[in-house]
Amino acid sequence: MSAAPILQIDGMCVAFDHPRGRIRAVDDISLSLLPGERLGLAGESGSGKSTLALSILLMIKPPGHMEAGVVRFLGSSVGDLNKEGIRELRLAGIALVPQGSMNSLNPVARISRQIADAFVDHGLRLADDERERRIADLLAQVGLPANVARMYPHELSGGMKQRACIAIAICLRPKVIIADEPTSALDVVVQRQVMATLARVQRELGAAVILIGHDMGLMAQFVDRLAIMYAGRLVEVAPIAEIISRPRHPYTRALIAALPSLHQRGALSGIPGLAPSLHDLPSGCAFHPRCSLAVQRCRGERPALREADGATVACHLA
Amino acid sequence: MPPLIDAVNVSKRFAGRLGREGTLALAGLSLTIDVDAPRVIAVVGESGSGKTTLARLLLGLTDPSGGEVRYCGTDLRRLGGAERLQFRRDVQAVFQDPYGVYNPFYRVDHVLRTPIRRFRLARTKAAGRDLVDGALHAVGLRPEEILGRFPHQLSGGQRQRVMVARALLLRPKLIVADEPVSMVDASLRATILSYLRRLADEHGISVLYITHDLATAYQVSDAIVVLYRAHVVEAGSVEPIVTAPQHPYTRLLISSIPRAEVTRDWLTTDDTNPRVSNAAGVTGCCFADRCPEVEAACLASLPEFRHTEARRAVACVQHRRHAVLPEGALDKVLL
Amino acid sequence: MRAVLRYLRRNPSLALGLALLMAITLFVVVGSLVVDPEDARPLSAPTLQPPSQDYPFGTDRQGRDLLAVMVVGTPLTLRIGFIAGLIGVGLGAVLAFVAAYYRGIADTVIRGIADIGLTVPGLLVLILIAVSIKGTLTVNQMAIVVASLAWLYPTRTIRAQVLSLRERGFVEMARLSGMSGPSIIFVELMPNLLPYLGATLVNAVSAAILASIGLEVLGLGPIDTPTLGMTLYWVNFNAAMINGWWWWWLAPTVIILTVFLGLFFLTVGLDEIANPRLRRSA
Repeated sequence: MSAAPILQIDGMCVAFDHPRGRIRAVDDISLSLLPGERLGLAGESGSGKSTLALSILLMIKPPGHMEAGVVRFLGSSVGDLNKEGIRELRLAGIALVPQGSMNSLNPVARISRQIADAFVDHGLRLADDERERRIADLLAQVGLPANVARMYPHELSGGMKQRACIAIAICLRPKVIIADEPTSALDVVVQRQVMATLARVQRELGAAVILIGHDMGLMAQFVDRLAIMYAGRLVEVAPIAEIISRPRHPYTRALIAALPSLHQRGALSGIPGLAPSLHDLPSGCAFHPRCSLAVQRCRGERPALREADGATVACHLA
Repeated sequence: MPPLIDAVNVSKRFAGRLGREGTLALAGLSLTIDVDAPRVIAVVGESGSGKTTLARLLLGLTDPSGGEVRYCGTDLRRLGGAERLQFRRDVQAVFQDPYGVYNPFYRVDHVLRTPIRRFRLARTKAAGRDLVDGALHAVGLRPEEILGRFPHQLSGGQRQRVMVARALLLRPKLIVADEPVSMVDASLRATILSYLRRLADEHGISVLYITHDLATAYQVSDAIVVLYRAHVVEAGSVEPIVTAPQHPYTRLLISSIPRAEVTRDWLTTDDTNPRVSNAAGVTGCCFADRCPEVEAACLASLPEFRHTEARRAVACVQHRRHAVLPEGALDKVLL
Repeated sequence: MRAVLRYLRRNPSLALGLALLMAITLFVVVGSLVVDPEDARPLSAPTLQPPSQDYPFGTDRQGRDLLAVMVVGTPLTLRIGFIAGLIGVGLGAVLAFVAAYYRGIADTVIRGIADIGLTVPGLLVLILIAVSIKGTLTVNQMAIVVASLAWLYPTRTIRAQVLSLRERGFVEMARLSGMSGPSIIFVELMPNLLPYLGATLVNAVSAAILASIGLEVLGLGPIDTPTLGMTLYWVNFNAAMINGWWWWWLAPTVIILTVFLGLFFLTVGLDEIANPRLRRSA
């Protein structure tokens, strides 16, 4: 199997112009995604993970703009594409299932029409029966019964709507699927079904998945590699087993510790302090005000991302 | 002394459309909250289980279709003016959405000053300010960072903590917290939940913690009530229920929680019969159409609530050899 | 002040509306210093004079100095509009809040009356009312007549706004804080609707002015006052257009046009404030 990454992000910087000043929502992020791999992108609100997803597909709108960074898909730079090329890239090359998409389904269109719209948008002209067949196949792939095609979004449950969104996302057989918090509004039982669907679909397509979220337990059970973001910066990237058994960055450790245990009571721990405002980032390491291990160097010098036996960490103490 | 809040066989059915029977949001539930024993009781369920309906019934924001909710012995619907004000003082709430609960026209001070003014909690302006400062300190916030700001200028976590501070101000006897941390970052959840826990331990305030997150419920509560599609399926002391669940649904809930462990079996084990549609009007057990251990008896009639242990009751035919828990005795197992 | 000017740059409709209305106000204010109000009465000038240095707006068939008529009549017309609009929105808002907050019987009754009232042609009703008043109308009576129907539409639209607002979390929070119905309406709901109420008021004033002019042109207004509508009535009565006395109908038409355009742009501008989703990005 070739080890060439299917998606390569180098030095991505996205800034927003705000009356109070310019803020960096994404600050020098570099990531690579191998074919068929599951990469997790974890962070809390304001960490910049959704912005990063949008920037991959060149979907940053003013007042935000991409300050720097190169995104390479299948080796060629996405920035070199013309308008046609970008439209083709979206959904057919890289598909995005945005946050809250299950609530953004067109309430007055049947599911089949919403999938068909994706075909039409990409210039795919299909005969009626061919289109019906493809839609039925897609629904079967995501585990939905065929009669869902004739239904409206409000007739479906949350989990079914989310699976319909996945069906739309994979209808053009993309190589990369980016799922932004696909299960945040769903219950635990339905979450498992939807994630199992995503895993199966990914396997069948041979596609890679970027899963964006904040639930470390979900990441642990689904992804192969995990990247942690804080205040727009990358703080740790490592294979999932490494991160779970030996988290190296204090923030990662705290995130894992914040997961309530089902074995032992009275062990709830959080992270003191507040997530920093992007207008007013702490000097040096963005996490140092909340870090129990911070030393003088952390206050003054921003840690660079370094390899440290099996993981990539941005911490002076790793 | 009549108990603070007594829900007597309350049920709620929403009106159906044009002759169709409406959905049953909550089947007959009896719950008693007593002042002498401040506890944290968790009500756990998925969306559609009836947990939010229960919260709204206990807060008097909606009326039950059957049964009654009593405050100190009087039906909520029959409370007089002064009694009603006292009820509002004794029973407070923290809601899920830390943004919608703020009036965008006013600064956040408004939400703290209104109850002080309405319930005459302070005689002078200075006393009022002290109360507010104290409440904010108690939830780890600095008054100078919070007061004078508009809601959109604070983060979600700060807003939710202000709501807890507001609940604290009134020194209520019961706080109904409906998903208080689900819209808050993971790192902040523990902090907010620990404040709720402290309310019970240090201030003698009972907390009804309503959530879909069994893990946090385990950490923070003393007793737990598991709801599924408007019915109570299991209830009792939290430790045995989470470590050794007896109802198939509870077992399903626990196994569906993804753990941060190196062993990965979460995706592969599928112990559910996935429901294809929301079937209304199912006779028999509410979980029958998804239960991996379903038998013929499950479909015949609604299983009775069985008293399986001193501090546990389960509504499942598997435990038919145990005695039936009498009506309205739910709080015996929640002690 | 600078922030206001900056906002006006982003909201050209509001700026234009305010400018037009300011122009009218300036005209009236400066005019009242320059003109003798008695000249607006008949027989104060030679008849049917085209515009000249003595009579910049010309004169009409009864010898009124048209410049004086405009300066005196414009504020009268506007006054009718404001009084009627204010009463209409005031009454409409009270009924709307009561209906939407308390629901039940109150809502059914109020909504029923408003709905029935809205289906009846307004001008027809106004004509019937005006005709049945004995003797000639004064300006204030005119305002009351128009106000009698001006509350119907505001009631409906404000009610719709309150209905959606009352479901918000902070209203429940207020109930849990022990606030009573009226205090929730005044303290929690009303402030959030001020921009909307403002836009509705401007709308109502516009509609009231139009209704009053309509009645006056038909001859049902205050006959002996020189309002804009009455001037047009005399224009019609004397067939001024056919007779070529263009200055007579031009002045009131231009002023009416300016007032309506000003109010229209003001409404569009206020709409943007009331509905943040319409705001252009900064």
